[in-house]
Amino acid sequence: MVVGEVAVETDVVVIGGGPGGYAAAIRLGQLGKSVVLIEKEVLGGVCLNRGCIPSKALIHTAGEYHKLSSLNKLGIQLPTEKATFHMPSWQTWKSSVVAQLNKGVDYLCQANGVTVVKGTATFLSSDRIGVETGGDFETYKFKQAIIATGSRPFIPSFLKTDGEYILDSTDMLALDEVPETLAIIGGGYIGMELGMAFAKLGSQVTVIEAAERILPQTAAHLSQEVLKQAKQLGMTIKIATKVEKTEVANGRVTLICTSEKNGSQSITAHKTLVTIGRVPNTGELGLAQAGVEMDERGNIPVTATGCTNKSHIYAIGDVTPGPALAHRATKQGIVAAEVIAGLPSSVDSPYVPYVIFTEPQIAGVGMTREEAELQGYKVKTATFPYRANGRALAMDEGEGFAEVIVDQESHLLLGMHVVGADASNLIGEGVLALELAARVEDVALTIHPHPTLSEVWLEAAEAVLGHAIHIVNKSKVAVSK
Amino acid sequence: MVEFKLPDVGEGMHEGEIVKVLVRRGESVQQDQPLLEVQTDKVNAELSAPVTGIIREILIAEGETVEVGTTLLVIDAGTDAKKEETKLPEKVVNPDKTVNFAPARADHRRSLATPYIRQLAREMKLDIELITGTGAAGRVTEEDLRQFSNRLQKSAPAKFPTTAPGNERLLEASTVGVETEPVVQPKTGSATRVATSSLGDIERLPLKGIRKKIAEHMVKSVTIIPHVTSVDELEMDQLRALREKLKPHADKRNIKLTFLPFFIKALVIALKEFPTLNASIDDRTNEILLKRFYHIGIATDTPEGLIVPVIKDADHKSIFQLAEEIDQLARLAREAKLTMEHITGGTFTISNVGPIGGLQATPIINHPEVAIISLHKMEKRWVVCEDEGVIRWMMNLSLSFDHRLIDGVTAVRFTNRIKELLEDPNLLFAEMV
Ligand SMILES: Cc1cc2nc3c(=O)[nH]c(=O)nc-3n(C[C@H](O)[C@H](O)[C@H](O)COP(=O)(O)OP(=O)(O)OC[C@H]3O[C@@H](n4cnc5c(N)ncnc54)[C@H](O)[C@@H]3O)c2cc1C
Repeated sequence: MVVGEVAVETDVVVIGGGPGGYAAAIRLGQLGKSVVLIEKEVLGGVCLNRGCIPSKALIHTAGEYHKLSSLNKLGIQLPTEKATFHMPSWQTWKSSVVAQLNKGVDYLCQANGVTVVKGTATFLSSDRIGVETGGDFETYKFKQAIIATGSRPFIPSFLKTDGEYILDSTDMLALDEVPETLAIIGGGYIGMELGMAFAKLGSQVTVIEAAERILPQTAAHLSQEVLKQAKQLGMTIKIATKVEKTEVANGRVTLICTSEKNGSQSITAHKTLVTIGRVPNTGELGLAQAGVEMDERGNIPVTATGCTNKSHIYAIGDVTPGPALAHRATKQGIVAAEVIAGLPSSVDSPYVPYVIFTEPQIAGVGMTREEAELQGYKVKTATFPYRANGRALAMDEGEGFAEVIVDQESHLLLGMHVVGADASNLIGEGVLALELAARVEDVALTIHPHPTLSEVWLEAAEAVLGHAIHIVNKSKVAVSK
Repeated sequence: MVEFKLPDVGEGMHEGEIVKVLVRRGESVQQDQPLLEVQTDKVNAELSAPVTGIIREILIAEGETVEVGTTLLVIDAGTDAKKEETKLPEKVVNPDKTVNFAPARADHRRSLATPYIRQLAREMKLDIELITGTGAAGRVTEEDLRQFSNRLQKSAPAKFPTTAPGNERLLEASTVGVETEPVVQPKTGSATRVATSSLGDIERLPLKGIRKKIAEHMVKSVTIIPHVTSVDELEMDQLRALREKLKPHADKRNIKLTFLPFFIKALVIALKEFPTLNASIDDRTNEILLKRFYHIGIATDTPEGLIVPVIKDADHKSIFQLAEEIDQLARLAREAKLTMEHITGGTFTISNVGPIGGLQATPIINHPEVAIISLHKMEKRWVVCEDEGVIRWMMNLSLSFDHRLIDGVTAVRFTNRIKELLEDPNLLFAEMV
């Protein structure tokens, strides 16, 4: 290893090329800063290479494949042979999607004057960073730094992943065949998304969740719809159940679980996916040398501008406390870049939407009813079911509902949540409405195109006001005391 | 339910302006947690919760002036929202999960504004949470930002909060002194819109807060006291040299040594020799009160306006002690942490406008005192010394005095004495007690 004597000077180093890091680097380039973006693997981070994009590619494929069985009802006659799914071809297609996006990010970095360095970065001091680039060691001297090293799956020691039988989400998305039986430890959004996709592709899936219900991060009545579907897909869901031990023998994994209700039981599957959370990649960064503080979970606390306890070092994305979501990382990245360039930016919005690509999808923004009441609001809420929406029925997607939560006094929108087909796209309207400080009347009085799923918002808003057209209103408006 | 009323926070105050409401409806508060900031006769006071509970009603608005005894808030005592929270069906979250969808608390009690308006507010360095929206459903509009910004720029005592990198709020000091302040049409209530007249744009602004107090005080002072101002000029070279010599010693003790402590010392010596200048007139009994204590007010420019903290018993304090105390008081003043104690009981006031500039002024006497000195810019001037033109560090000094009690001759003798002591600081030390 050659130790570089001369440090390359730059305005800003960005460590990590995920959706947080590359967005920050590009924005800094736009703002005329000299930027070095350090990435030890491939640009795009978890999101592009083994998170959002690959998982959504799989979910889309599984959805299409699954639909085939219901096409008959729509009058589409398929050949009598059963359709088959060839996972290696899917991998090829997925890789091409990811590669195209990688190239795009790479090109945009270049076009904005960002120097991309491939290597693993560690802080040497509060203004120097060392990068190991396969045998070489380079140092960079910076005025500001942005930490965007993201997160990795949390795997407790007794569950050691082996890449063959016990897998993390990355391994799972790299499989070349659909496992016959699949056990999933963790019924959070990644577990449920992948579990449902594999169930649609033909796996016999069992989900083991320690909490009282699946998707414990969302409101219960929303996750209920997903549970219904999971059962229809033939999935087995074990709630309030903990995995104590795993054993691999004869090409199978056996999970020893306990639950208060059923005592000890064992589940055997060809593969086991562990998705019980993610941990920030901060341990190996040499943060102590830079004087950057972490909390007890290894997250780096930051202000609304992304500033750490060191005013010239910023942190964004999954390494900061808060929901680990790509769009949050990107927003934080752009804000940090702008603040460094002297612009008055801030991540001051409480409206970080979430999207879960289960069957049906769940998406939401703002407060749930419970959260609003906890904050002292008197709320009115109303829901509008998909089955009363013409377009939903015409798409054979009658499951789900849209829910609108408003402040009883001012009629301001407090939260919008939707579970059902295309919820992920529908929530865009919700985010915009909340950001624009809309009242429920604003949504109700806006002409929504017909026939579309977006009409569920219109009708839910009208239902709050007691005059939805396509449902009977009577006592349907829930008013909290 | 506990009704929280405006208490009498200062000596017999009868009203106060609500400067800031620190809590929101529905918020749970702990006993002694600050609830409101009120502005009374030149003091900013923070009122804190008498009980633990939930804020049920907020009956006042920021900027409102209310009388002592008015109910400000209603607190639902004994209920602790945090406790309520735990009673609600708890969200079961796997402790290992770092992924949580619950977004940063979506608090809708923040100002209603679109993202663009928020960005604009940050660019204009305005705290959007302080702005009352006039748009649909109370949204803050671009025009509201402009109005608010104009109001801040034109009224010196207004706060200038900014969202700086790191989100700290900075307060920008106003640099305008009382005497040079443009006259603002007194008017209560909220600002009215810019009206275009044939003379040009005129904006009406409410006269409130410290500015209102200052205005009232000034009117009272000039209506009661027949002011006369006399101006003199001091040669500062020797004092400058002395200060340079003492500075390293002060630095060692972490003391910021300015000229002001020397002035206070000289002033106190002169006041002892001219007792009518350290006096007041009891207007009801027509008596002169000669004070045998020397509490020197120092007019201090703060973001809230001109405030006069008082150095008590200045005659018993050393130059270094005075310097330390001035520094301390100025800091408290800037941070709006002065209490009634700090700003009352003065016997004579010094207004130090020197650092800003100006040749001479008519400082207005801080009633019921009978005189005030203002110190002006120190600068090099051509002067004649023993028939020769030389360059010297010179400084003007203006003394306004109450002509009911003090004659012109006395006043000039008084300033002559100060001049003598400062031009030759050895004399100052010889006379010092
Ligand atoms: C299966 C799955 C599905 C997901 N689906 C969604 C979704 O639908 N929607 C959503 O919003 N989010 C989703 N996420 C989460 C999303 O991927 C993350 O929130 C997002 O990638 C975080 O971005 P980031 O920039 O903080 O870090 P990352 O994307 O984790 O990028 C960090 C980068 O830093 C690099 N790095 C780390 N340490 C160093 C070092 N020392 N030196 C140099 N480089 C380093 C890493 O190689 C990596 O490329 C999903 C995640 C997974 C795992």
